[in-house]
Amino acid sequence: MATSAPAQRRTSREGGPLGGAFRYLILTAFLLFFIVPIIWIWLSAFKAPKEISRNPFGLPEVWRWGNFVEAWTVGRFGQYLGNSLIYAVAIVGGVTILASLGGYALAMLPLPARNAFLLTFMLGLMIPFESVMIPLFYLERDLGLLGTYFGFIVPGIALRLPFGIFLMRGFFRGLPGELADASRVDGANEWQTFRNVMLPLAWPGMAALIVFQFLWTWNQFMLPLVMVQKDELRPVSTGMMFFFGRFTAQRDLIAAGAVIAMIPVLVLYLVMQRRFIEGVTAGALKS
Amino acid sequence: MTASWRRWRAGLIFLLPSLALYLCFVVNPFIQSIWFSLTDWDGASKVKEFIGLANYRELFADGLFWQALRHNLVWVLIGTAVPLMIGMLLAQLMWSKPRGFTIYRTVFFLPHILLSTVIGIIWAWIYNPIFGILNKGLDAVGLKDVSRGWLGDPDWALLAVLVAAMWATIGFVFVILLAGLQNVSRDLLEAATIDGANGWQRFRDVTIPEMANVLNVVTALLLIGGFSVFDLIYVMTGGGPNNASQTLATYTFEQAFAQNRVGYGAALSLVMTVLALVTSFIFIRLRERGEEVR
Repeated sequence: MATSAPAQRRTSREGGPLGGAFRYLILTAFLLFFIVPIIWIWLSAFKAPKEISRNPFGLPEVWRWGNFVEAWTVGRFGQYLGNSLIYAVAIVGGVTILASLGGYALAMLPLPARNAFLLTFMLGLMIPFESVMIPLFYLERDLGLLGTYFGFIVPGIALRLPFGIFLMRGFFRGLPGELADASRVDGANEWQTFRNVMLPLAWPGMAALIVFQFLWTWNQFMLPLVMVQKDELRPVSTGMMFFFGRFTAQRDLIAAGAVIAMIPVLVLYLVMQRRFIEGVTAGALKS
Repeated sequence: MTASWRRWRAGLIFLLPSLALYLCFVVNPFIQSIWFSLTDWDGASKVKEFIGLANYRELFADGLFWQALRHNLVWVLIGTAVPLMIGMLLAQLMWSKPRGFTIYRTVFFLPHILLSTVIGIIWAWIYNPIFGILNKGLDAVGLKDVSRGWLGDPDWALLAVLVAAMWATIGFVFVILLAGLQNVSRDLLEAATIDGANGWQRFRDVTIPEMANVLNVVTALLLIGGFSVFDLIYVMTGGGPNNASQTLATYTFEQAFAQNRVGYGAALSLVMTVLALVTSFIFIRLRERGEEVR
């Protein structure tokens, strides 16, 4: 510490135009650029439609909590949020369980043609969703999945497995294999070794996977747009769009709806901020 | 039963559910895409008639395809370069953990967690010709001539959506670059300073090479994302006005699901996929070659 302190001081003094007050000026300018639009929509959610255009940045004259009630019921936001929650739990759960098993097998167990499996899953990491979308729609139609929750859940899991498997494989490879050997010597079978010894150690990896997966599922747009066309089954990401279509003129309700749709992820983000950012970083870099 | 056979079998059983689901719902439709693209199927008729490469021939003569591709290229170029530059600037400024570090980082990343529908509505409002704050701001500083209905103007619609997209991407790029900066050796920077390198030289000759891997990953993600961009465009302009913001993905969607030209849509989606993969492949190769030369 004693040696690094002068170095720190020197870099900040030598920072030239990017040091000192100027740095805070730039950082604060970007802070405003990112936050002001969000604050604007929050304030608008409490206003009357005319007030939104007349007085965009002022506080509401009257705080109209009724906007939220109306968006929740008339705009069916309660229903959309419930659906999003169902999709998130099912897809995140499915991906986490299957990817842990698969990632463990590819990292720790002797598999024939392991590289062929890895290459196959690699394909899924690289291709954009659009390249499978069209036949997937007709496949779901033929299987009777359209018009059910599974229309989004099943491909939602399948499409995210490659990412999850590579992430979990990376975490399992970082664990000491001797632990698994010791457990086998003690007479545990492969399932017990996985479940009782290795899985608990991979918890940090799973937490990152869960966070990343949740954000991805919640924000997923094109997949439910194509596969979920019944309004009762729509998640908030696409349901909201049709709500905008029906209520274009009612800007107060649109803003209230946008705020409602924002809240679950926002709360999670603010509470688990560090884990969120770590999860997203690990997700991006480890894949 | 030997121990090795037991482990071998366990591996297969652990992998099987993932593999089955993945083969059925990802690999299978991907291969079918190739087959669909060689037919003129409309999604309803019983037979899919094989027409060879006719869809691809039509595509290369289709003015709308080229227009959409141009829009994707604009998106890829600006949408990769600008977030990388701003993300790097912010990461550099935040490297030494200034006061308020957590607040800045929380806010910078915040737009990235929002639904594209929410981002779309926020920015559609900002651009609104009647009550949008962008026009109000321009009017206030005396630039009334510049203000317009941004999303309805063919010259501006694409850029307007791109700005909204970058608003949400910069924080993501920033967070990853900041993580990458943690791996840059301070000793090396120190040594460069002693050797008389100025700030820019240190950045170019030490920081950038040390972060090569992270930069590669982020750039590849942005490139692939730029070729397949759909959500925000669909929400904000639907590809309009008059195809002014149409991209390969929105055009594919329209052909396959609105016009029921399933075969043609499949061909479009595959051309887009190849473009995205080839571009990121070339990019990574160029980077590798650059490293060797160095």
